Amino acid sequence: MIAVAAGTNRIDPYLIPALDGVAYGLLVFVAASGLVFCFGVANILNLAHGMLYAIGGYTAAALLDGGWASLALALGVGVLAAAAAGVLLAGLLTPVATGNHLTQALLTFGVALAGGSLLVAGFGPDDPQVQVPAALDGSVVVAGHRYAAYRLVFIVVAAVIAAGLYLAVRRTRAGMLIRAAVDDAEMVACMGVSPARIRAGVLAAAGALAGAAGVLGAPIIGPGTDTADTVLLLSLVVVVLGGLGSMAGTLLAALAIGEIQTLGVALLPSAAPFLLFAAMAAVLAVRARGFATSRRVT
Amino acid sequence: MSLTTPRRSRAVTASLLALVLSVGTACGDDGPGTSASGSIKIGLLASLSGTYQAVGKEIRDGFELYLATHDGKLGGRQVDLVVADEGNGAATAVPAATKLLKQDRVVALTGIVGGGSVAGVYPLLNETKVPLVGSNGRPELKEVSRVWHTSYLSDEPGAAIAQHVRDNVKGSVYAIGPDYQGGWDELRGFTDAFDKAGGKLANPDGKTTFTPFPATTNFTPYFARIKASGAAAVYTFYAGSAAVDFVKQYAQSEIKDVPLYAAGFLTEGGVLNAQGEAARDIYSVLNYSPDLDNAENRAFVAAWKAKHDGSPTTYALASYDAAAVLDRAIGAAGNDPTPEAINKAIGQLGQIASPRGTWQFSTTTHSPVQKWYLRQVRQDGRALSNTVVGDLATIGR
Repeated sequence: MIAVAAGTNRIDPYLIPALDGVAYGLLVFVAASGLVFCFGVANILNLAHGMLYAIGGYTAAALLDGGWASLALALGVGVLAAAAAGVLLAGLLTPVATGNHLTQALLTFGVALAGGSLLVAGFGPDDPQVQVPAALDGSVVVAGHRYAAYRLVFIVVAAVIAAGLYLAVRRTRAGMLIRAAVDDAEMVACMGVSPARIRAGVLAAAGALAGAAGVLGAPIIGPGTDTADTVLLLSLVVVVLGGLGSMAGTLLAALAIGEIQTLGVALLPSAAPFLLFAAMAAVLAVRARGFATSRRVT
Repeated sequence: MSLTTPRRSRAVTASLLALVLSVGTACGDDGPGTSASGSIKIGLLASLSGTYQAVGKEIRDGFELYLATHDGKLGGRQVDLVVADEGNGAATAVPAATKLLKQDRVVALTGIVGGGSVAGVYPLLNETKVPLVGSNGRPELKEVSRVWHTSYLSDEPGAAIAQHVRDNVKGSVYAIGPDYQGGWDELRGFTDAFDKAGGKLANPDGKTTFTPFPATTNFTPYFARIKASGAAAVYTFYAGSAAVDFVKQYAQSEIKDVPLYAAGFLTEGGVLNAQGEAARDIYSVLNYSPDLDNAENRAFVAAWKAKHDGSPTTYALASYDAAAVLDRAIGAAGNDPTPEAINKAIGQLGQIASPRGTWQFSTTTHSPVQKWYLRQVRQDGRALSNTVVGDLATIGR
């Protein structure tokens, strides 16, 4: 009986994990893109990035009440709070020489520990409940399978964010400055744009992205005591897999992580504990520089 | 005539010795943990911080509720309850237990959330010869002469519900749980008994699927496999935030109409509030439910609700019963309730009346021989609640 079912349609059981992998991957993309920006553009290794996501997550848990207005409010507050935390980080990092990654890592890791404790002190040690808008708190049928409505909508929203990010980097003056700063920071400084301002701007943008991911992704990677670590780890894997140069590489790496974590687990459940890192090791073994081919922000 | 120097110092030494001896005998009269006024010192160790603090606080509150409803006395003696924080596990539990046992010199220890903490504290119990009346975690122990538990063994919930699942599910059952000792024990209890009853697992290799713990937060890929297996029902055990994730995602998944059976912790206490509507109709097995219809339970639930929001959990109940056990044991231990006398008295208690129904200690495992109940998450007034829908097996060995 099972053999017949499998024979008629081998792909069918894996449709939903594959779709879920896209949702998960896009969330990882939005969450990680800020870290990639910081590292690739401002040359700052920000180990407090996971904490910025957690700020968004806790904001969502505190403000969401099942209505659309509360989602808009949480998104606004979460983005602003995380962006403000990013600017604060930039201020703390001002005395640290650009490119001194060990000092940056120590400083931001310390901030992450302290910030994490503050969040737990403020919101309690239990994982708070996140209430998505009532209209999305159900499931819909996709190609004959049930799937969470919120995650389906999230795929669309995250794709819009990704497209917006691409356009912002490619087409706006701020994006051009950022790309210029990567290529030749001294020349940009000569043009009268302070590197400190670019750094603060990049960290604020990274915070805003992480905050947005935290609010919108709270029903998927919910706020809790280990959220910051989880997000930081996934983001670092994205950096390793996707390289620092291109948004396409980051997107590809994030989607790969999403599929490994869902489709991969569905196909090989016994390998679930180490699948992600096995894949990372395999990619590194084949291509030491990850998916990306150039070091440019494209 | 004056005393010579050596003679004077001898006199001073003698008087000092007399003083020490008299103080010593005064202490000796007290014995560990009791004082001349007849009060008695009990140590309660529970997680008041960290991951398990929700459970730890229930355990503290359950014990304190018993004291509050019994004039603060156990066995006719005023109780001096010393509470210490167990934290996340043995690393914090052992120093806290050392203080209770060696500095406060309590006559009995109770509480302890984690099985690992119990294992860590266990050597201290043998060293100080103080009994533990544990109310939650119970690891595998070789020798239990001073260890008693009012809770359960981890493989008992699954063993208690297996026959019911076999009789009521038309088809195979998919078993899934978290990949750690607690998960292995809970699921083994079910699969062993289910296999004996002639049931068939839907898992492709005939073995339970274990998910990485606590790393797994997305269960969608596992649900896809359950769907593909054609299972007629699912049996699981998760607790804490994993239980919330599992239940919420299950309700929105393609197997949302497949009946879900679970060890009661999946929907017990605070996690049920977090799960909300997603938990409706889930069947679970547990040794307690706040709606049990007996006099002890009505009094217990009423007293609990007068002090706390919501209904008591099995954790609070186990701690309340630990106080009841100590109450009777201290009363039976005579005029000099030493730790040894209390330990001996616990072994001779026989039937114990409790909000969960009457139970008794097993002579071999020192854990309860008790009845298990089938519960379903149903509407109870404004909130969802675990409602008893039937009796299951009486288990204990």
